[in-house]
Amino acid sequence: MSEHTTSAATRPSSRKRYKRIAYGLLGASILALWIGIAVDRFVLGVALYWAGGLGMGLVQRFSPVELYDERDGTISRKASQTTMNVFAYVFVLGTPGGLALQESGLVTLPGEFYGATWTLFGVFVVFGASHLYYKQRT
Amino acid sequence: MRNDIPDKRAETDESQADLAAAVGVTRQTINAIERERYDPSLELAFALADHFDCRIEDVFEPDD
Repeated sequence: MSEHTTSAATRPSSRKRYKRIAYGLLGASILALWIGIAVDRFVLGVALYWAGGLGMGLVQRFSPVELYDERDGTISRKASQTTMNVFAYVFVLGTPGGLALQESGLVTLPGEFYGATWTLFGVFVVFGASHLYYKQRT
Repeated sequence: MRNDIPDKRAETDESQADLAAAVGVTRQTINAIERERYDPSLELAFALADHFDCRIEDVFEPDD
């Protein structure tokens, strides 16, 4: 067997500890937001929420351990792919379907329908741009 | 992809956690590889082969 040592960057206990810190910051920030809303200190709640999110990002970026391994990345990619596929069907089938129902007079579409449609359109524009970017570099 | 990691671990008397720490992944990743639910990257496959001091084809075998 080769000589291998467990570096701090890969030690499971370190990884767990830093993950706990990162998600703890996120949880605390969400709690702060809820409390801020509940006690009518919305701006303070949002500021704490952003600070917690920023803290989580900093822990993930600068922790001495790698918080996620290659399988985590694969899982994220597959989940993202599935999400995009689901919303592609929603967008491609739902948008013309909703408009057809509106034109036929069967339903009156709420403003949220158009908001959701434009949001999905924006998501797919970003996806397309991202896809092109990585296609040129892979 | 089939693999002989459980046998190799038995030879070296290592737990999944020991092996995971040695090659820099989580124990769950080693477990998923052993159960053939996850195919490792080339980099990780080479690291595993290097850890067991053998060739990559001694550890992994493609499915038919």
